[in-house]
Amino acid sequence: MSERPTPDELAEAIEEFLAGEILPTLEDRRLRFRLLVALNALGILRRELTKVPPENHAEQRELAARIREGDVPAGTLAHVKADVAARLQIDSPRYLDRY
Amino acid sequence: MIADMREALEEVLGPISEPVLLPGGASKEAWSVDAGDERLLVRRAGGGVIHRHTLSLRHEFDVLQAAHEAGVKVPRPVAYIEDLDGREAFVMERLEGETIGRRIVREPVPERLPLQMAEELAKIHALPPERLPFLEAATIDRLVDELDEVGEPHPAIELGLWWLRENRPPEREPVVVHGDFRIGNLVVDESGLVGVLDWEFAHLDDPARDLAFSLVRAWRFGADHLRLGGIGDAEPYLERYNELTGFDVRPEELDYWEVAGNVGWAIGCLTQAQRHLTGQDRSVELAILGRLGAEVEYEICHLLEKQGVT
Repeated sequence: MSERPTPDELAEAIEEFLAGEILPTLEDRRLRFRLLVALNALGILRRELTKVPPENHAEQRELAARIREGDVPAGTLAHVKADVAARLQIDSPRYLDRY
Repeated sequence: MIADMREALEEVLGPISEPVLLPGGASKEAWSVDAGDERLLVRRAGGGVIHRHTLSLRHEFDVLQAAHEAGVKVPRPVAYIEDLDGREAFVMERLEGETIGRRIVREPVPERLPLQMAEELAKIHALPPERLPFLEAATIDRLVDELDEVGEPHPAIELGLWWLRENRPPEREPVVVHGDFRIGNLVVDESGLVGVLDWEFAHLDDPARDLAFSLVRAWRFGADHLRLGGIGDAEPYLERYNELTGFDVRPEELDYWEVAGNVGWAIGCLTQAQRHLTGQDRSVELAILGRLGAEVEYEICHLLEKQGVT
């Protein structure tokens, strides 16, 4: 059990502060836009902190190198697509609803 | 700084209003100024460049001039300024209309817009290359080099590159292409297409590549069911383009270059994030692109699946 607040709880606190207290005070359109983007990045970070990364970096490197060599057996795409979908669960979960 | 810039601009333009920095534009600044009743936009270099194949503002201005002379709908070029408070810049007409992709796909779409996009592309692809001798030819290999420079493993992008190598359609004579022709880089109003912006990626290439770029899902801004930039179907657009150019681009070529457009943008996301990670240009907008690239990778997988890859 990690120390409280946990990393994602801390991130949540930052998110609440920015969205609840800073955003409403901003009138500059450029700053508002950039704060919304920052909040989106923070959301990714929070989801990342609560999940185990689905992919193994070394394995991905090996797979990428094999494909580069033209070694693409049947089933490669399905495997790669599942890895990307797992990354999307962290990076942009709602994107998957678009398919 | 704004005062210095205003002074430098006034040397060229005469008395102007106070320059206002417009939102957006990660790699270039856009300033709005008025000179009398002329509405102008100053495009000025930002901190870094998107990647090494981006045109300088001087060359971008030359391309804009060539396009304008050929009757392409573009902002009227006004002046190139080599040193505007320490950076290069140029001045052009500020067109009235919408450029934000999300808003364009949400509003009722002007009926003529898809055909107008084809018409402008036909004019662009007829620009004489000898008028713009600095334009370089692009190849798939260039994409591989860019990916290798990032240095991260991305099997989905590799699969896309593999499929592109295996399925290359017969080569077409390279033409002058815009290089980033899509919703988001077009000014649109109720009557349709007002102007084509952002010429920094102009180069020589297969015309079908330029034609297919606006099909890339990321540039449909959520209106995914409309393959042409979230605003229309691809068929009438393709037909109109073929009618005007006589190039007879086949639907399979559009499919091929749609994959290429996605692969290019997936790599673009990574190189943009690198600008932040290497400290060249710290920005949360650039940083997050490194993650949003996963969306584009998923689309690559989806498109390859449709092509029968397993």
